[in-house]
Amino acid sequence: MTYRPADLAELREAMVQSAAVGQLLAVSGAGTASQWGGRPEHDAVLDTTAMSELISYNPTDMTVAVQAGMRLSRLQEVLAEHRQWVALDPARGATIGGIVATADAGPSRHQYGGSRDSVIGMTLVLADGTVARSGGHVIKNVAGYDLGKLLHGSLGTLAVVAEVVLRVHPRPAATATLAVPCDAAAAFDLGGQLITTALEPAAVEWCDGTLLARFDGTARGVADRLARARELAGPAATEGTPEQWRGVDRIVLGEQGDTVLRLGTAPDRTPSLAADLHRLAATYAVEAAMTSTLFAGVHTVRLRGGPAAAHAAVVTALRQTYPASTVCRWTPDLEHEITPWGDPPPAVSLLRAVKRRFDPDDRLCPGRFAPWL
Amino acid sequence: MTSHAIDTGWLAELLATLGPDNVITDPARLRTYECDGLTGYRVVPAAVALPRSTAEVAAAVRVCAGHGIPFVARGAGTGLSGGALPVADGIVISLQRLRRIIEVDPVNLCAVVEPGVTNLDISRAAAPYGLYYAPNPSSQQVCTIGGNVAENSGGAHCLKYGFTVNHVLEAEVVLADGTVTTLGGPAQYQPGFDLLGAFIGSEGTLGIVTRITVRLLAKPAHVETMVADFATVAGAGDAVTAIVAAGIVPAAIEMLDNLAIQAVGASTHSVYTADTAAALVVELDGPPDDVAEQFDHVQRICRAQGSTKIMVAADPAERALIWQGRKAAFAAVGRISSNYFVQDGVVPRGRLAEVLDRIGAMADTAGLRVANVFHAGDGNLHPLVLYCEADGEHDRAERLSSEIAELCVELGGSLSGEHGIGTDKACSMPRMFGEDDLATMLRLRAAFDPDGLCNPGKVFPTPRLCGERPGPYRPHPLEAAGVIERL
Ligand SMILES: Cc1cc2nc3c(=O)[nH]c(=O)nc-3n(C[C@H](O)[C@H](O)[C@H](O)COP(=O)(O)OP(=O)(O)OC[C@H]3O[C@@H](n4cnc5c(N)ncnc54)[C@H](O)[C@@H]3O)c2cc1C
Ligand SMILES: Cc1cc2nc3c(=O)[nH]c(=O)nc-3n(C[C@H](O)[C@H](O)[C@H](O)COP(=O)(O)OP(=O)(O)OC[C@H]3O[C@@H](n4cnc5c(N)ncnc54)[C@H](O)[C@@H]3O)c2cc1C
Repeated sequence: MTYRPADLAELREAMVQSAAVGQLLAVSGAGTASQWGGRPEHDAVLDTTAMSELISYNPTDMTVAVQAGMRLSRLQEVLAEHRQWVALDPARGATIGGIVATADAGPSRHQYGGSRDSVIGMTLVLADGTVARSGGHVIKNVAGYDLGKLLHGSLGTLAVVAEVVLRVHPRPAATATLAVPCDAAAAFDLGGQLITTALEPAAVEWCDGTLLARFDGTARGVADRLARARELAGPAATEGTPEQWRGVDRIVLGEQGDTVLRLGTAPDRTPSLAADLHRLAATYAVEAAMTSTLFAGVHTVRLRGGPAAAHAAVVTALRQTYPASTVCRWTPDLEHEITPWGDPPPAVSLLRAVKRRFDPDDRLCPGRFAPWL
Repeated sequence: MTSHAIDTGWLAELLATLGPDNVITDPARLRTYECDGLTGYRVVPAAVALPRSTAEVAAAVRVCAGHGIPFVARGAGTGLSGGALPVADGIVISLQRLRRIIEVDPVNLCAVVEPGVTNLDISRAAAPYGLYYAPNPSSQQVCTIGGNVAENSGGAHCLKYGFTVNHVLEAEVVLADGTVTTLGGPAQYQPGFDLLGAFIGSEGTLGIVTRITVRLLAKPAHVETMVADFATVAGAGDAVTAIVAAGIVPAAIEMLDNLAIQAVGASTHSVYTADTAAALVVELDGPPDDVAEQFDHVQRICRAQGSTKIMVAADPAERALIWQGRKAAFAAVGRISSNYFVQDGVVPRGRLAEVLDRIGAMADTAGLRVANVFHAGDGNLHPLVLYCEADGEHDRAERLSSEIAELCVELGGSLSGEHGIGTDKACSMPRMFGEDDLATMLRLRAAFDPDGLCNPGKVFPTPRLCGERPGPYRPHPLEAAGVIERL
């Protein structure tokens, strides 16, 4: 069975009803990240995609309030009419709620941070139907706890995100990309130079053997910075293309049959992670691709080809050195070989304590964080 | 509440654990800790612990946990909302001795520091690498990074650069039962809920932070600063809106109204025009070409919005004078009025002109003066309600100050932009949040601190607290001494 509420009141009603009969719920947005982590056990689906309205938008305040089921692409269209955007990279089908719940973000996280940094207010509904708001409609606000942050990365296990208030940014007048084919170590060095020479790149990504650095700003300023960046980078540098940026999406999303792994490391571990991945891929005869938001230390690894056992061997070996990892896409049968998560973080007992207080009956997406929760 | 004074077992244990040199019990010395920057509330604690390491913080907390003794973390005590106010029969755990900068890591663009390190010292340590720590409350010379984490502090530049929460990667935390854990990690992706994000800004109620990894940024290549005068406050407010609507994100936009400008003019070598209704300080930073073009644009916008005069800082010395005047405004107001309250509300930026108008009308009705000096780009007001204690204006002024905070909420804003809720505004929280909102926040608190020993009575309204009345504004001793300024 599926609950498909269209507004906050209906969502609350669905939570109360399902609680009354003790149903386990799988919370879902557009379903583009439905494989992240473990597969939730459930009696019913709580589908948020009918909650897709713009609640309020005042361009001069640069804040916008939306229902959580609204697609990011739709929101960006609305904002573009006023030459504004939410500083999150295109995720064609994904909902705002899903983006928050997965803590997903693309290359722009270098300058703007993840969705945690754009969300300034949130309304959530707990498993027992309690409706809670935190934050608000203003950027500057330090009143009370920031429950919106808590929901970030919670994958539907703590509460359902019902409404989100986001901070928006002006769209830059101009943008340009530096592209340099190089290995991860060279990319990390050059990226560091771009930053410390105050060229202010808005994104510094190393994607599948190419450093991509994006500059946003005024037309003259961007041209000047791109020229100076090319000087630093040497003769191999070219002006990057939108197609090169789409390479990031292709790795992040993967395709049927791929395994996709998200990892977090200290930024300077990127070269060794890339080298280890390369070596392991050769050993187990799988095809590997990787994209890294270099100075955020966030990496996505895509494995393709070969049996599930080979994918499992690569993931397991990587995790020994880089434990903060989530399986985001599973090649068939992989779930019989490995767990969705690496070693639990030091604060895992706090994660459990928070979960118990928010969802004592373990009704929301049970199994998503298995074996931690 | 039963007094713990009869049960001295815990004190003996604390003394044995930390050593007598690291525990204050002398009543005279305890009074140093009886309040923070909000001097209207005072409570003398039963003891003060001065641990020198995470292990000692944890040991002190374990003693408290074992005996049910409440504890309050304290950094530099500059908080303006009574967050570090002690609990009678409880202890204060001062983090002042944990002040090592453990590492500056220019490769990973971060620094690892202990909580007692001052905000400014982080930027000083990063400077040789061309880096700095962005969030800069005006108390930055003395306030600690631990206090910043607890308050989610910001400063004049947070319009562009964000707050503490946007610049902290990892924190080691001592929980209420004395266990030590780590929130966050070295990367912007960590599996699981964002407990670090929820901890930052929790005002010391979820645990004590004992080690912090902060992000560092490259110093901007170029800075430009100007002062634009306006014939009306509403005109200045509209200019703020127009600048932002033009797609420009300045490093700072600050506003002073005429009363504030007069106060500044009366006391310092002022660069502000004495008879203008309002002045905007606008600062841009970034790559030179981008800054030059946008700075030009901002000046055109100000003129189009009716600016009567624009003064551009010709050099760093003139920039310093502009900021000096801005920062001196609070102290200056203190010289034109014997007493005043400082408020810290926020409104949506588009409603600035409206709220200033309404504050003006409310002040007239109350027969009091209100000076405005504030972070206009964020919509973060700091109305100063001037009054005279001796003339019996206290209650009227206090009421006006609360009404202004609640007006901010009514206009869709917030009770606090940067100073936190603490003891001061806990009783106004129900104006902004419903019962269920607060109850949900308390679930988080209960997950971290089931027995409620960690800075109890702060942030959330309690019947006892809300029966008491706050005292008047008095300058922080460091402010009076000219060491720090209010911004
Ligand atoms: C660079 C980059 C490019 C990307 N490009 C694309 C793209 O082109 N197309 C695309 O589809 N995706 C893309 N993504 C991925 C996309 O960002 C994620 O798939 C998205 O976060 C998931 O949103 P969803 O609505 O599909 O969530 P779902 O897959 O429906 O749900 C994911 C998780 O979130 C939980 N959840 C969802 N909604 C809520 C809610 N309201 N409250 C509580 N929990 C909730 C679910 O329980 C589940 O655990 C990209 C990501 C990156 C980093
Ligand atoms: C003149 C003046 C100007 C100011 N300007 C600004 C400004 O521009 N922006 C701004 O945001 N604030 C400003 N403030 C307020 C204050 O300086 C900040 O809130 C600061 O972050 C407090 O730091 P502190 O070390 O003094 O903390 P304290 O006052 O000692 O404590 C503040 C709170 O933090 C908790 N705490 C302290 N250390 C820890 C720790 N290690 N772990 C857990 N909790 C802890 C305390 O329990 C308390 O709740 C100003 C204050 C003054 C006096």
